[in-house]
Amino acid sequence: MGEAGSLISRAQNFSCEGDGAVVRVSDFRKLYGKKLAVSGVTLDIQKGMIHGLIGPDGAGKSTLMKAIAGVLSYDAGEVEVFGVPVVSEQSAERVKPHIGFMPQGLGLNLYPDLSVEENIDFFARLRLVPAHDLAARKQRLLAITRLEKFRDRAMKNLSGGMKQKLGLVCTLIHQPALIILDEPTTGVDPVSRRDFWTILADLLKEGNVTALISTAYMDEASRFNQISMLYQGQVMASGKPESILALIPGSTVRLRAIPQIQAVARLGAEFSQVDPFGDELRVFVEDGSGEAAIQRVRELLTGIEVSEITASEPDLDNVFLELLLRREQSQGRSAPLPSGAPPELETERSIAIEARGLVRDFGKFRAVDNASFRVPQGEIFGLLGANGAGKTTVIKMLTGILQPTDGEGWVAGANLHSVGRGIKEHIGYMSQAFSLYRDLSVRENIRLYAGIYGLSRREMKARAEWIIAMADLSGRETELAGRLPMGLVQRLALGCALVHRPRILFLDEPTSGVDPLGRQRFWDILFQLSREERVAILITTHYMSEAERCDHLALMSAGKVIADGSPAELKAAVEKAAGKTLEIRTDRPVATLEQLLEKGFEDAALFGNKVHLLSSKPEADEQSVRTILSGAGIETHSIRTQPLSMEDVFIYRVTQVEKQQLARQEEATQ
Amino acid sequence: MVTSQKLQRQSNPWWRRFYAMTVKEVLQLFRDYVLLFFIAYAFTADVYWAGSGVTLELVHSALAIHDSDHSASSRQLISEFHSPYFKNIGEISDLREASPLLDSGKATIVIDIPPKFEESIRRSKQTGVQMQVDATNSVLGLLASTYSTQIVTTYGLRESLSANGISPSRTGTLPAIVDDHRIWFNPNQTDSWFMSISELLNVITVLAILLPAAAMVREKEKGTVEQLLVSPLSPIEIMLPKVIAMTAVILFGTALCMFLILGPVFHTPFRGSLILFFVITTLYIYTTAGIGLFAASLSKNLAQVGMLTILMLAPMLFLSGAWTPPEALPTWMRNAMYFSPMHYYIDLSFGILLKGAGWRLLWPSIWPMVSLGAAVFGFGAWRFRRQFA
Repeated sequence: MGEAGSLISRAQNFSCEGDGAVVRVSDFRKLYGKKLAVSGVTLDIQKGMIHGLIGPDGAGKSTLMKAIAGVLSYDAGEVEVFGVPVVSEQSAERVKPHIGFMPQGLGLNLYPDLSVEENIDFFARLRLVPAHDLAARKQRLLAITRLEKFRDRAMKNLSGGMKQKLGLVCTLIHQPALIILDEPTTGVDPVSRRDFWTILADLLKEGNVTALISTAYMDEASRFNQISMLYQGQVMASGKPESILALIPGSTVRLRAIPQIQAVARLGAEFSQVDPFGDELRVFVEDGSGEAAIQRVRELLTGIEVSEITASEPDLDNVFLELLLRREQSQGRSAPLPSGAPPELETERSIAIEARGLVRDFGKFRAVDNASFRVPQGEIFGLLGANGAGKTTVIKMLTGILQPTDGEGWVAGANLHSVGRGIKEHIGYMSQAFSLYRDLSVRENIRLYAGIYGLSRREMKARAEWIIAMADLSGRETELAGRLPMGLVQRLALGCALVHRPRILFLDEPTSGVDPLGRQRFWDILFQLSREERVAILITTHYMSEAERCDHLALMSAGKVIADGSPAELKAAVEKAAGKTLEIRTDRPVATLEQLLEKGFEDAALFGNKVHLLSSKPEADEQSVRTILSGAGIETHSIRTQPLSMEDVFIYRVTQVEKQQLARQEEATQ
Repeated sequence: MVTSQKLQRQSNPWWRRFYAMTVKEVLQLFRDYVLLFFIAYAFTADVYWAGSGVTLELVHSALAIHDSDHSASSRQLISEFHSPYFKNIGEISDLREASPLLDSGKATIVIDIPPKFEESIRRSKQTGVQMQVDATNSVLGLLASTYSTQIVTTYGLRESLSANGISPSRTGTLPAIVDDHRIWFNPNQTDSWFMSISELLNVITVLAILLPAAAMVREKEKGTVEQLLVSPLSPIEIMLPKVIAMTAVILFGTALCMFLILGPVFHTPFRGSLILFFVITTLYIYTTAGIGLFAASLSKNLAQVGMLTILMLAPMLFLSGAWTPPEALPTWMRNAMYFSPMHYYIDLSFGILLKGAGWRLLWPSIWPMVSLGAAVFGFGAWRFRRQFA
C-alpha cells in the first residue's frame, strides 16, 4: 500500500515538475523464440510530447509498446517508466495504474455486445474510477469525441472510426499520465483519422499527458512532436521531424515528361528515388538546393519534353527511404523488369473494365451503392477509401466472386451477368491475404498457379523464370513461401497473379504491411506493367499517399464513389473550391492554435509542432495571422502555403457529401 | 461501350488443372506434421487400444464380501467368484461398510452371506445370499449380477443335488435339455476382432469427414480460396482434388492398419475379397467427404468445422449399427438409419472381412450407399459455390 501510494505521488510529482523523460528505454532487446524482434533500441520520451513510432509491419513497434506498457517481458536492456524500472510483474503493476494502453486492431479491446456507455463504465470500474469522477469525465470525453448521441448503441454497430474513438475514451477514462496507442489510425477513414488527431492534440495541449503512438502511415509522421523510425527491430532515426528531415538534405523535384518511360530510365540510372505519380514524376535529388536540383534533372533529360518542373522540400517518406537504401545498399533498387514477350500493340485505348451503377447488398446493409467508373487498357486505376468503404466488394463483383445485386459491369468486354468462366483466364487477381500457399515453396506455388491456368510445361518454365527474376527470388526457389519476408511474399503473389499474362489485373490492398522499400519496388513493377505491357490495373488502397501514384482515382466512402479523376484534377478542383493549406510555425504552437481559433479561423488544427489552416485567400490570411500572433506576443518562424494532400481532398469531398445529405434531410423534414 | 479485345489462349486441358491441384493437396498434407501424426496415431495406436483395451466382458470386477457364517460352505461359495471375472478385494466386518465402498467405486459387488448359511444348506432349509451391485455402468452391472446369479445358482443346485445323494458327475441321468450352440464368423467370440474393425471403421469415418473439411476451411481462413474462385477452376475442380488426395491417404492408412495391427496383432481373418473392401471403402470416403465439405461450407474456421464435425459424427455413430443393432432401436431411429451411409458401410465391412461375403450378396447395401454418396457430394458442391454468392 505504502509503495503504491508513494508511486502515485511520484507520478504526480512528475507531472508537476515539468521536463524529464517519462519513458526511458535503453538497449532494449526482445526475441520471439530464436527470432530477434527488436534489438538495441534506445529512446527517451519527454513529458507532454506526442512521440511517434513509425515503421512497417514487423518493425518491432508493438513489441516495444507492449514492453513499455508492462505486458510483455523482454530479454535485455532497461525500460523505465515514471522513473520506475519495469523489470518484473510487480514493478509493472506499480506503473500500470498510470498507463492507458490501446492495442492494435479496430476496437479489439472493446466488447462488441456492450453499448458505448457500458464499455466505458466497464473500463472505469476495472480502473476503480470513483463514481462522481466517472460521470464528469465520461461527459467530457463523449463530448469531444462526439459519441454522445450513440451512448446506447452497441459497440459492434459503430463505424470503424467511432470504434476507435470509443477505444480512446476507454483508454483515457482513468486519466493516465502516459497513453500508449498501437496503430490507432490504421484502416480508419480519413475524416475520423483527422478527428482522432484533433482530439489527441486537444487532450495533450495542457502538457500533463504524454503519448506514445505508432503508425504505419508515413504521412502522419509530421503530426508528432518527436519520432522514432523503426525498421527490422532497430531505430533508424530519432528526433523532431524537422531534425530528421535535416539528416539528408536534398530536394524533391516534380515534373512531367514525355515519354515518361524514357525519363524514368534515365533518371533511375542517376537517382535512387524516381517515382512516377500518374503523369507526374518525383525525383529525390540529394545535396542540392531547389534550383541546382532542377538544373541537374533538366540536364539528364535533354531531348525529352519536360514541363511543370518544380522543386520542394523532401518529405519524411523520402528521408526514410533514403536511410533504408543506404543501409541495404546491396539490395538497392534492382535491375529493371525482365521483359516478357513483346507486348501486343494496341493503338486505341480500349476500355478494360467498366462498372455502371453497381450495387451490392448484404442483407439490409448496402456495401456498394451505385458505383460507376471505367478503366482503359494500360491505366493504373485506384479505388481509395477506408476499411468498409466497399472497395473489396467492388473488386469481388468485377472478378466474379460475388454477384452484383444491381447494375452492370463489363470486364474485357464480357458482361458480368452473362459471362461464364471463360473470362477468368484473362484476369489476374491478388487479394489482401496475398493468396499464396505458405506451406508450399516458391517454385511449387508458381507451378500450382501455372497448372491452374493450364500452362504447358514450356510456358510454365518461361513464366517461372520471369516471375523469379521479377520478384528478386533467384536462389530462394525452394524456400517455403511462409518463411519469406513480406515484401517478397507480395511480389511472389503478384507473380502468381500474372502467371497467365492477364490483360487486366485486380489488386486488393496489395501493399498493406509491406515496408517502404518493398512498396517502392512493387510500384515500379506496376508502372512497367501498365506502361510497357499495357495491362489495366485496378488497385485498392487506404494509403492516401500511395493513391497519388495512380493515373486515375475514384474516392469511395460508405459504398459510394464520391469523386473521380486524376490525382491532379482532384486536387485542383478542391483547391479551387476550398483553397490551400497554410503551414504556420511558431515558438508556441498550442498558444498559436488557441489564438487563431479565438479569432475565427475555425479549421485551424495542430499538426505536430505546426498549425495548419485551410485558406482560400492565402496572401490576405497570412497577413492577418501575422498580426494576430504578434499581437499575442507569439514569435512566428514561418508561414508557407502547402500543396493539398490527397487526404485533404478526401476529407473535403466526404464532408461535402455529408453536408449535402444534411441539407436534403432538412428539406425533407420541412 | 466496352470493346471486346483479342484474347488468345487455347482451351485448357482440364487435367492440367486437376493434376496441379491434386499435387498441391498432397504436398500440403505432407508438410502438416501435426496432421500426419494424428493420422498415423489414429490408424495404429488408436485401433490397437480399442482392440486390446476395450472389452465387453466382465474382467477383474472388484468384489467385497461380508461373511457372517465363516464356514466351509461360505468359503466354497466365495472361491467360486474368481479371476478373470472377479477380483476379491477382501472381507468387510460390518455390512455398513458396504455403502461407502460402492459409493467410492472401490467395489462393484458386495456379497453378504448370512449367519447359519452352512447349517441351512445342510438341513435343506431355504437360505439366501444378498448381492449389492453398482450398476452405474449398466452393462458391467448387468454382467456382474448375471454372472453372480449364475455362480450362486450353480452352487445351490450342486449343493441340493449332493444333499439329495446325487453326485454332480451323474447329472446326465436326470432329464434335462442340452444346450448345444454353434458360433459362426467369430467362433471364440474374440472381442478384439469386432472392436478393432469397428474402431478402424470409425477412424475412416472421422478422417473422411475431417480431412477434406479441414483442407477446405483452411483455404477459406487463409484467403486462398478467393484466388481459386477467380481462376478458371470450377467448384468440382476445387473440391475433387482435395477428396482424391485425402482418399489416397486414408486408403493407405487403412492398409497400414489392416496389415500392421488387425492381422499380426489381433489375428483378425480377412475372409472376403480385399479388393472389394477397398473399393467399398473408397466409395464410402467420397460419400462422407461430401458431408465434410458441407460442414466446411458452413464454417469460417478450423475450430467451427471441428465442432460441426463432432455434431454430425455423434448421430452417425449412434445410428451406424455398430453400438446398437437396428432391431433394438425405436422405429423412427431405425428409419433414420437408412440415411446414414455409415450403417451400410459397417454392414458391408463386417460382411466382407468376417463373413467373407461377395458383392452379389452385399448389393442391397452397396447401391443405397453409393446413391446417398452421390446426393451428399452433389449437395456439398452446390453449397460450396453458394456460400460465396
